[in-house]
Amino acid sequence: MCKDRLISALSAAVPTTDCLGSGRWCVDVTTSHRLTIERDAVVDLLLTDSCSGAEGSVDIVVSPWARLRVVEVVSREGARNQLNIKLEEGAECRMTQVLTASCDSRVVASLDGRGARFELGGSFILTDDERGSVVVDVKHNVADCSSRTMFKGVASGSAVGKFSGLVYVAPDAQRTDSEQLSRNITLGSARIETLPQLEIYADDVKCSHGATVGQMDDEAVLYMRQRGLSLVTAKRLQIEGFVSDVVLHSAIEECRDVLLETLEHKLEKL
Amino acid sequence: MLKVENLHASVGDKEILKGINLEVKAGEVHAIMGPNGSGKSTLASVLAGNEKFTVTGGTVEYEGENLLELSIEERSRKGLFLGFQYPVEIPGVTMANFMKIAVNEQRKAQGLEPLTAAEYLKLMREKSAIVELDAKLTSRAVNEGFSGGEKKKNEIFQMAMLNPMLAILDETDSGLDIDALRIVATGVTRLKREDNATVVITHYQRLLDYIVPDYVHVLYKGRIIYTGDKSLALKLEKEGYDWLINDYKEE
Repeated sequence: MCKDRLISALSAAVPTTDCLGSGRWCVDVTTSHRLTIERDAVVDLLLTDSCSGAEGSVDIVVSPWARLRVVEVVSREGARNQLNIKLEEGAECRMTQVLTASCDSRVVASLDGRGARFELGGSFILTDDERGSVVVDVKHNVADCSSRTMFKGVASGSAVGKFSGLVYVAPDAQRTDSEQLSRNITLGSARIETLPQLEIYADDVKCSHGATVGQMDDEAVLYMRQRGLSLVTAKRLQIEGFVSDVVLHSAIEECRDVLLETLEHKLEKL
Repeated sequence: MLKVENLHASVGDKEILKGINLEVKAGEVHAIMGPNGSGKSTLASVLAGNEKFTVTGGTVEYEGENLLELSIEERSRKGLFLGFQYPVEIPGVTMANFMKIAVNEQRKAQGLEPLTAAEYLKLMREKSAIVELDAKLTSRAVNEGFSGGEKKKNEIFQMAMLNPMLAILDETDSGLDIDALRIVATGVTRLKREDNATVVITHYQRLLDYIVPDYVHVLYKGRIIYTGDKSLALKLEKEGYDWLINDYKEE
């Protein structure tokens, strides 16, 4: 089981208080939590789902100058969860999200202190008749913050995926630096809807966003087959290449191999 | 090794190959030249098994088998290699991983065990030296961010890894500077053996200074209109194709 392997890879512990100092922790997203990351702390946080169909929310306050690295894996059917991350002055959060089942996921990052940084790399892979919805809201409430969101989606069979991204820049949030990208591949009769949005009320900002929904690259498949790979292997390798960079840049490096295997395992079902 | 008889092929309604005859024996090097749009790349694609083209007539025999019945990957595993004119970028897939799968697919088809990690690394080191390919490139994504020269060297590196019986190189020399051309061409020459064969498609005689052909064919409007020895390439370089095309029209 991927969750147990991740926990042991990190030797993450279940926290006994809501106030987390430097260390590696594991929290179940199918129940609700309110956590505070202590000032200046360096925290690795593993978010996993322990049961199907549950609804949970995790609120995290990242105190000034703390650094939080989050890896979230949702692999059980029908999870609904919301993650609220509030970043104070100079705080940083890097997050990797891997969703491999029907789910309803919402991440809201509020950049509330100057110099705060938020980075999210995510991917969802949906097969058969799965339904997935991903929402990423990044709120630049004060000046001098930066955010990066890169979300990759793959859907096959008759799956339906949806990505909604919103970057909000408050009137005083000058010198905001934000980037949001949603890239998707659909196979068969699957559908992916992507809705990247920008809401900007400040005038000195750098914000970019982009979205693509495409099919497999036939030229690449042909190239791989000419080198002896079967059609199935070629397609899988291409999709793996497409989503794996999210995992290769995993916020917590030690999670990389387990996350890659999780992806590969899911990709076999495409 | 390869026997093409009266091969016709089209894309959509448009017939591109209009009766190709070509025989390639083990140990031979053939060059195919001809003006743009004459069907050279199409011939390469059809032989490799690209499904975009429909074979509408003729036969192709490869090592005693009906080549046209085999899928692209089966042809590859049986030792047919196509060097692409425009090698494709595959983001996120490392060269090393890609080639490992390719080499092992071929071994599987031959009833051999997959290579161990150590054997594979050794093979990769050996073969990348043939084309002076920077070892760092093998840990990068396939062709992604490679320069034009690196892409073509990478084609020959893959050819070396797969050790084909029949290599068809589609304009492997186009876009190369003199040094890269020498490296690529020398690489091809070093892979030459008595029991394999090479077909090079090219616009320029200069490649044939390195890879000396036994036969030079001129393809025009979907047919091979003339076959000569290596001196034909020199003549074409000087005089162009007009004299041949005019002769052909008069026939």
